[in-house]
Amino acid sequence: MALEGADIVAPRKRLIRAGLASWATLVYFFLFAPIVLLVLFSFNANKYGTLPITGWTTHWYTDAFNNEQIKEAVEETLKIALEVTAIATIVGTCAAFPLVRSHIPFRSGLRVALILPILIPGLLIGVSLLTFFTSVLHVMLSSQTAVIGQSVYVTPFVILVVASRLEGFDRSLERAAADLGASSWQVLRRIVLPLLAPAIVAGALFAFTLSLDEFVITLFLIGGGNTLPIYIYTQVKFGITPEVNAVATILIAASLTLGALGLALPILIRRVRNTSAFGRRPRTAIAPATARR
Amino acid sequence: MHASASAGSAREGLRRRVQGWRAYAGFSPALVLYGGFFLAPIVLIVLYSFWTVENYNVVHHWTFENYTYFFGTSTYVATMLDTLWVAALATALAIAAAFPLVYWLARYVSPARRRPLLALIIIPFWTSYLLRVTAWSTILGPSGVLNKALEGIGLIGGPLGFLLYNRAAVILVLVYLYFPFAALTLFAALERFDWRLLYAAMDLGASPRRALVKILLPQIRPGMTTAVIFVFVPVIGEYLTPQIVGGTRGVMIGNLVVNFFQGAQYTRGAAVSLLIALFIGALLVLTRKRLNLGPTHGT
Repeated sequence: MALEGADIVAPRKRLIRAGLASWATLVYFFLFAPIVLLVLFSFNANKYGTLPITGWTTHWYTDAFNNEQIKEAVEETLKIALEVTAIATIVGTCAAFPLVRSHIPFRSGLRVALILPILIPGLLIGVSLLTFFTSVLHVMLSSQTAVIGQSVYVTPFVILVVASRLEGFDRSLERAAADLGASSWQVLRRIVLPLLAPAIVAGALFAFTLSLDEFVITLFLIGGGNTLPIYIYTQVKFGITPEVNAVATILIAASLTLGALGLALPILIRRVRNTSAFGRRPRTAIAPATARR
Repeated sequence: MHASASAGSAREGLRRRVQGWRAYAGFSPALVLYGGFFLAPIVLIVLYSFWTVENYNVVHHWTFENYTYFFGTSTYVATMLDTLWVAALATALAIAAAFPLVYWLARYVSPARRRPLLALIIIPFWTSYLLRVTAWSTILGPSGVLNKALEGIGLIGGPLGFLLYNRAAVILVLVYLYFPFAALTLFAALERFDWRLLYAAMDLGASPRRALVKILLPQIRPGMTTAVIFVFVPVIGEYLTPQIVGGTRGVMIGNLVVNFFQGAQYTRGAAVSLLIALFIGALLVLTRKRLNLGPTHGT
């Protein structure tokens, strides 16, 4: 549609277009310059983590891999992320069903209430939970309190992803299964969950990535422990070292890989299913035709 | 006969009620998580904001003192107003930067090339928030990239000190952080716009500018509102950005909350937290009809 007018482009319009395109280039540069620099400096031999580039090295990565504190932080981060993913995926998926399907009163209000932890600044979640844990529940801050705080923040994202898939769900499939004698449990296990799996997997990957990167809530709730972002934060206070840049690069690579997986996996699952379910059909359709010949 | 029928209908009623409850059973884990660890802490903060601290202990002595203290201290009020000003400016700049970009994407870029370009906007969202903030201190700092590069080409003799630790740096980083939110929500609105309406308006004699203002802008107003909320709301609660790139001149209201809590002035911190939450709540209620709270990322 946008291209319809392409053959009658006036010079003025071409100028506007060029202006917009160069603005876009600038914006993309602005978006990526900090990230690219960070990655660049992790390979820069300059030990102050800045310009000039004095040579290329992977020295900072071997340093990071041999650093006990970083190793512990990585373990802690992964442990927390796995627990948060489990909690958020289960709680979020369970909540998405009645949110989309039941005739609950004030549904739109409830929807907003369920995603409120995203809308409220992480600072407030962190501070209020910190107060709650220390002065009401009297528990020691630990990775467990951080897991709970992160779960509050991450669950809404899972709800959003799963609910949006459920909204476009063809319910006649379930009615057909029920008509054919499936119990409601069988319908859930054999029809609904498999069809919903791509969204649940995407939600889980999303949750995992968010947990890996989460900083503000974790800072208030982790107590003496260290996750990777918390470690980077404590190091940055004393100036950014190339070793921190190396850790940062690894963290960025991990999030990007997971993010890409989250986007690609549902498509892949669908594609694999389609070929396995319908792959044989053309062959049987062709078979009689060749037989006739 | 009568008795058995009524017993049957009672059993039927019970069965139906159980089924009715079963429809909501999925909410129960969420009820535990949200009720126990989201709602309860907020209620606690509300209570705290009306109590006081004596000898580092919170005592249940009802008072408005936390609020009167906050509004009676000019630096706090100034910080609050500064925060609103910074948030408004950052929001305006993020939208001003995003609009031409998404306009170009939606109108002039072929759908095949549009997808990767959109993905490029999402990528920063997938990288750690902390790193995106700290990366800027490596760029703007005294021995940062910008200073070193300018020195390298001989433009300046010594490092420029005014790049970091001030309000301009805070605004720059905030725009950087929340730009993807603005761009994605605006794009979602522009994508649904039928460009033929513009041609129709111009055929009827409207100038291109008039067509944009009178036809395009009203159509994408919900997207605009959503973009404003998605940038303004998180900025109001920012605390890391001012701490890392703002120095003493870039303090925002979120830093006050942290300072109060670190200084064991829990009830005052609670009052400021509640003010932030109330302000955000009011904004959301006011704009709820126009807000599009669907998923903007992920699948």
